[in-house]
Amino acid sequence: MRQLRAFAHRLGNLVRRNRGEADFGAELESHIALDTDAGIRTGLDPAEARRQALIRLGGAEQAKQAHRDRRTLPWAEDLIHDLRYGVRMMARNPSFTAVAVLTMAIGIGATATAFTWINGVLLRPLGGVTDPNHLVVLETVTPNGELVPNSYPDFIDFRDRLKLLDGIAVTRPTALSVGRDDHADRVWGELVSGNFFQVLGVTPEAGRLFLPAEFADAPGKFPIVVLSDRYWRSHFNADLSIIGRTIPINQHELTVVGVASPSFHGSLPVTAFDVWIPYMEQPALNGVQEWMLRDRHNRNMLGIARLKQSVSIEQARGELKTLADFMAIANSNVSEGMSATLVPLSESPHGPQGLLAGPLRILMGVCILVLLIVCANVANLLLARATVREKEFTARLALGANRSRLARQVLTESLLLTGSGALLGLAVAPWMSHALRSLMPPGPMQQLVAMDTRPDLAVLAFTAGVCIFAAVTAGLVPALQVGRLNLSARLNAGARSGTASRSRNRLRSILVGAEVALALVTLVGAGLFARGFFETMHIDPGFNPDHVLLNQFYLNTNGYPLAQRKEFCRRLAERMQAAPGVTDVAYSDGVPLNFEPSWWEELKIEGYGPRPNENMSIFRNVISPGYLPLMHIPIVEGRNFTEADNEDKTSPDVMIVNEAFVRRFFHGRDPIGTRIHGWGSWFRVVGVAKDSKYHYLGESTPAYFYVPFRQIYREDMNLAFYVRTKGEPDSVLSTLRALVRGLDPNVTVFDAAPLKEYIGASLYPQKIAASLMCGLGSIALLLAALGLYSVMAYSVAQRTQEIGVRMALGARPAHVLGMVIKQGLALTAGGLIVGTALAIAMARAVSSVSFSNSAMGSSATLLGDGANHPLIYIAAAAFLCVIATIACVLPARRAAAIDPMQALRIE
Amino acid sequence: MGDKTDVWQGTLALMVLRTLESMGPQHGYGLARRIEQTSGDLLQLNYGTLYPALLKLEQEGYIKSSWGTSENNRKAKFYDLTKAGHRQLKRAAAEWEQTTAILARFLTPAEEA
Repeated sequence: MRQLRAFAHRLGNLVRRNRGEADFGAELESHIALDTDAGIRTGLDPAEARRQALIRLGGAEQAKQAHRDRRTLPWAEDLIHDLRYGVRMMARNPSFTAVAVLTMAIGIGATATAFTWINGVLLRPLGGVTDPNHLVVLETVTPNGELVPNSYPDFIDFRDRLKLLDGIAVTRPTALSVGRDDHADRVWGELVSGNFFQVLGVTPEAGRLFLPAEFADAPGKFPIVVLSDRYWRSHFNADLSIIGRTIPINQHELTVVGVASPSFHGSLPVTAFDVWIPYMEQPALNGVQEWMLRDRHNRNMLGIARLKQSVSIEQARGELKTLADFMAIANSNVSEGMSATLVPLSESPHGPQGLLAGPLRILMGVCILVLLIVCANVANLLLARATVREKEFTARLALGANRSRLARQVLTESLLLTGSGALLGLAVAPWMSHALRSLMPPGPMQQLVAMDTRPDLAVLAFTAGVCIFAAVTAGLVPALQVGRLNLSARLNAGARSGTASRSRNRLRSILVGAEVALALVTLVGAGLFARGFFETMHIDPGFNPDHVLLNQFYLNTNGYPLAQRKEFCRRLAERMQAAPGVTDVAYSDGVPLNFEPSWWEELKIEGYGPRPNENMSIFRNVISPGYLPLMHIPIVEGRNFTEADNEDKTSPDVMIVNEAFVRRFFHGRDPIGTRIHGWGSWFRVVGVAKDSKYHYLGESTPAYFYVPFRQIYREDMNLAFYVRTKGEPDSVLSTLRALVRGLDPNVTVFDAAPLKEYIGASLYPQKIAASLMCGLGSIALLLAALGLYSVMAYSVAQRTQEIGVRMALGARPAHVLGMVIKQGLALTAGGLIVGTALAIAMARAVSSVSFSNSAMGSSATLLGDGANHPLIYIAAAAFLCVIATIACVLPARRAAAIDPMQALRIE
Repeated sequence: MGDKTDVWQGTLALMVLRTLESMGPQHGYGLARRIEQTSGDLLQLNYGTLYPALLKLEQEGYIKSSWGTSENNRKAKFYDLTKAGHRQLKRAAAEWEQTTAILARFLTPAEEA
């Protein structure tokens, strides 16, 4: 307690140092005067009395120093001194300061931004929920080990039987239309199990959330809805009276029971939903048949569960697996070989984070590379300055300064530099964070992305850590150097030193080498990603997306029953076909190379015995007869669908398979006429379509099949409408709008876009990786070139005298030039060797990073095919050599032009 | 070395407190002289070391200081005990007595045995 009081006093005295100093001076004076008086009284003459008083005092200056040390905190005082001195030094060398602070700002700003994203996407994914650390994602596992969503009946079994979980909820993201007729808004919401909010632990902002009585599984019982805070504010002006009233959603009146808390945006990370509706309202909302809700095949629910306190994820996973394996046997007709597992929230393969996780990790890695280059640069700058200040340091050492004290000062100065850089970097970071939105593919995903970009404690702590790391990395080498200063040697040899000391030269060489190595790694990285991107860009998708306009209809949001939807499509296609400038019209369920997961069906193929545990879930599309011709996908065998392949009981169910399907399942047998079982009935193969790309341009073609729209189209499917035009696809947009309005004024054309733009989305992760790498790569290159140049220029300047001597002894300018360049290149070569090794290791690590928007087996790697392109390594190395040469030649020429006499006279 | 000065500081602090208690407000020079006298001139005090000790006591709140005039009309800073200082003196004196008593048992030749 008393110590604390004393500490507070001393801390306070730091601020008013001068007053204490004067006060004690006066006190000492009075002390000496009193003692002198006493001496005089004993008969001494005044001068002698004063002398003896001073002796008894033991030195006024020592007394003052001891008093000062006690009065304030010596280390804090040193720190203040160092800081002041540092600021003065910074102000005195504005160009040095500007370069160092700016490079630091780039390094730290980039790293902080990357961390902000990672923090938002991966580390604290869900806002507004209670204790997110106990939330896990529940996934069904296919026999092949792929993770897929769950079916509602499976969910009921899980919910009712698992003991180690504190509740399981399921949710299905969906587009809804809110409002009536032509005033409708398209809104993204989640269809959720009744216990959704309870499991997540969400609190209401107003009204209430779903009550336990409303958790029941009976279809259509609870026509209620919970709104998001932002939708409530933007569309209802935060009006409390909306609670208890009904709003039309998909032309169906739902009662608003409450508003969720403002920080809650739904169950998918970085995604913002606006309405939550009980899953069992689906039959009313979008005409899904009740039997579908009870169908274990219908795996479209994302599961989210809460672990009981003190239950580990492994324990819960074990319990779930036992139950799921049992269910797989009990329901072997639909679930044979299936299992289930739990994964941490941050590893969920669904939603934007599945797309962003890989690229973000790489981004972080690159940022750290850039930061290291920045540190090497600043260390070099500090080292160069330490050499300049060698005289100052030796003088201070000679006057009795402590080595550790000097080293501390150098570290303080580097901390000051990185600190200013970090502040600057942090100021930019929130603004940069918004750019994350632009990294998402266009279309619905982009609207959905919502991230909290305010820097939180984690980001600040991380930045502070990075800052200290950078300060120590950049400042350590110069600080050690100060500790090693040899006083006598320096004072003796100082004036006539030919070259800088050997150990310092070695240190700086290592730094330059490190910089070259790091720059090579970033350059190679940028090259590999760019190459991977362009290679994928030039992959033939196997269909022709040019001149095609695509529009996705959400007819279920308009309350259309199934038959009417089909009728709508047929009539719209008929009218569109007749419009001027239109060559083909088609519609389907899934869009190729779209960024939404495509669906699959489990098949039994006549004459093919699946291997044990073989995944017979095959991707499919449900298409109109016009689809394959419109896409320019040729039928290589058999025939295309016709309007005769329809709902009519007399027309048999038919199927078209792709070549990969034939290769996988038919082994030379003729596929035409074979019977294949799916959706509970037998289909006959009538044609074989040429392979094309379905999910990612980089994918290896999977087995794939098509079924006729009129035979298989169901309530829960999407509807994509394609129009091929003679001219620009946008030219028919107004025609399409008019025709749609003519058919039904309530249906709106929300987001029609050329197919070519739409499928560009599938390239997104690669595009991000490539553009980020190229951007950061050029920054790294610039920094490395700057560092290289400054170091070379500096070391040449240091050797001015030596060069002068050499030239006085007859060396020709060409010799000097050659010598300097040779040394520079030797350094570069060393760095390149290390860099190549690092780059190869990096490429290996990164080539395994893939991205996916569903875990259903279909993913593509970021780097394209493999990471071994020697040409990229050679080009990057050559490029760096050129930069290094330029960095050497400029100062070398200046050195060679020196007049020997002048050089010798320097100092 | 650090330990020695701590012990010295501790005892010096005790001497200062005790002297102030018996003599009332006193300036630094007077305190130093008085401590020397009390010790029977056995203690050759380096007067300079007294001031950091005084400062420490003051920071800890055991003594307070104010400028005043000395008996021979010189401006001087006077130190005086605070309430906390009185308490501390009692406590420290008791501790010190106990310590010396224990040490005395070790240092006097054993008789009873």
